[in-house]
Amino acid sequence: MREGPPGLDVEHPVELKGIRTCFGATCIHEGLDLWVSRGEILALVGASGCGKSVLLREMILLARPSAGRVSLFGEEVVDLDAPAANRLRRRIGILFQQGALFNSLTVLENISVPLKEQTDLSRPMIRDIALLKLRLAGLSADAAPKYPSQLSGGMHKRAALARALAMDPDLLVLDEPGTGLDPAGADDLDELIRDLHQSLGLTVVMTTHDLDTLWRVSHRVAFLAERRILASGSMAELSESDDPRVAAYFQGPRARAARSLEWKRA
Amino acid sequence: MPPTGGQVRGAARRSDGPVDPARLEWSEDGRTLRLLGSWTTAALGEIGGLAAEGERPAGSLTIDGAGLSGLDTAGALLLHRLRERLEGQGISTRLVGLGDHQADLLELVAGKAEPASAGASELGGGRPGSLEALGRATLGWTAEGLGMLSFGGAVSMALLGALVSPLRVRWRQVFRVVELDGVRALPVLAMLAFLLGVVIAYQSGVQLRVYGGNLYVVDLVTITVLRELGPMMTAIVVAGRSGSAYAAQIGTMQVTEEVDALRSIGVAPLDLLVLPKILGLVVALPLLTVFANVAAVVGAMVMSAMMLDLSPEVFVRRIPEAVTLSSLMTGLAKAPVFAVAIAVVGCYQGFQVRGGADSVGSHTTTSVVQAIVLVIVLDAGFSVVYSWMGI
Repeated sequence: MREGPPGLDVEHPVELKGIRTCFGATCIHEGLDLWVSRGEILALVGASGCGKSVLLREMILLARPSAGRVSLFGEEVVDLDAPAANRLRRRIGILFQQGALFNSLTVLENISVPLKEQTDLSRPMIRDIALLKLRLAGLSADAAPKYPSQLSGGMHKRAALARALAMDPDLLVLDEPGTGLDPAGADDLDELIRDLHQSLGLTVVMTTHDLDTLWRVSHRVAFLAERRILASGSMAELSESDDPRVAAYFQGPRARAARSLEWKRA
Repeated sequence: MPPTGGQVRGAARRSDGPVDPARLEWSEDGRTLRLLGSWTTAALGEIGGLAAEGERPAGSLTIDGAGLSGLDTAGALLLHRLRERLEGQGISTRLVGLGDHQADLLELVAGKAEPASAGASELGGGRPGSLEALGRATLGWTAEGLGMLSFGGAVSMALLGALVSPLRVRWRQVFRVVELDGVRALPVLAMLAFLLGVVIAYQSGVQLRVYGGNLYVVDLVTITVLRELGPMMTAIVVAGRSGSAYAAQIGTMQVTEEVDALRSIGVAPLDLLVLPKILGLVVALPLLTVFANVAAVVGAMVMSAMMLDLSPEVFVRRIPEAVTLSSLMTGLAKAPVFAVAIAVVGCYQGFQVRGGADSVGSHTTTSVVQAIVLVIVLDAGFSVVYSWMGI
């Protein structure tokens, strides 16, 4: 696999144990355990409002659970001092749901921001690397001087993906990547994620509602319901599940349609 | 001559712990270049520049990657550029010692990297010259002026409509504006006006005392405050406080498409968002001005009692001899005009917002600046008109 910094041979880059997240009196996670294996593509699914995004944010140091252990690359993240936290952040690339590109910067400048902030590389080198990430995300060089408001939805996502990949992260986190894309665009993004996972040896965690994406991209799916991970396994396994709660999600009409398409494709 | 057997290091200043900095090492005979350390984004440091140093023998060169402890896309890109440069100098390179995955990565990067000749000009950017900037700015100001004129026209039409059918006006919003931008501004205004009164009384009193004219502080302060400083200061405070709020509120609604949503429901944004603010401010600003006038005079009175041996009774008794109703009215007459100016500028800037947070910020700033400038210009205009009228 990838030769890289220490801590990469950790079997589970992300480990969550006994997570409890409460806002005031209501708790949306209770006794939640989840791990992500090195090199796999894990999809986190569940009904709207079940706390997927919050869980994702807890994984990437943007939110703290009320109780429980979070460890990234083998390191516990509770009470981390700022330099240690930054070291971890450098190894994670995040694609936010709305893209979250900086509106006052061009695409190229957006991709360069992590490089400028966290390395000492020279400016020409940073530009060269940023252009490379742009190309890796499937954009052409003429997208570089554009501002985010001038981009189409698909290009916006790709630019945000390029920025997520700027520091060559070990872990790529995608929050509903396919949302708002047309079917062809969503297909292309699926393929891009698969290719990048393959060629860069990434570990990928994503939240999604898109059943096609689940079938075509994910290795394992974790189903978040009743405040914890109710079931986890491949799409094929979950679609055969006897558990009525899992079945309701994975065997509804849309789910069955997506699945039959997948069988036809295989 | 190539540096023999020495090491060329990139300093990874921002190393955070056990990072193996990227290094280059020449073999003794200068025919092999060894890649050492971790060629990853965090560890590359300044090696990019250093890799170009030294002359090379013509012919062929072996690049040995067996000593690499890590390679990512940035490192692969640097390696690719190094090879490109060497080949450009007529030296053919042979790559050995890379793991399968590393070789795949290098191939991926080589395929996606832009040709090194892609210059900055192709990527856009570059600052426009000062003449071009001036030209663009002038065009911008003209467009802005025309835009404001057209907005002013639309607002006037809406105001006429309100006069004709007052029932169609959203009075609830109007009263909300009176509360938020009038009542809630009282504390701040009280403090500022009071301090203004104190300052003017002190500055003028010190001078007048020399000539024994302590009493005339009253005249000076009341005339200045009632006619000029009261209305102007109130307007400036309200411009900063409320004008900016209008711009920010409407601007953010533009960004989140709420304004479009209103239009699609058949509600004219002008009727719901702009008109109530104008009407509300026209009601609130004169009242605030009177309040500020009183606060300033009280401040002057306090200062006079403390510093100028002018007791409050004497002060108050002098006031009717110093000013007449016309002094108050000339000042108050300005207030509605200022109110319209502040509200129109604030709302106009709000509607100009495009894009995101940055635009909201800059238009909010512009709205305050423009409102204050307009208030002062209008004040000067009033002075001219009053002098013609002999008031």
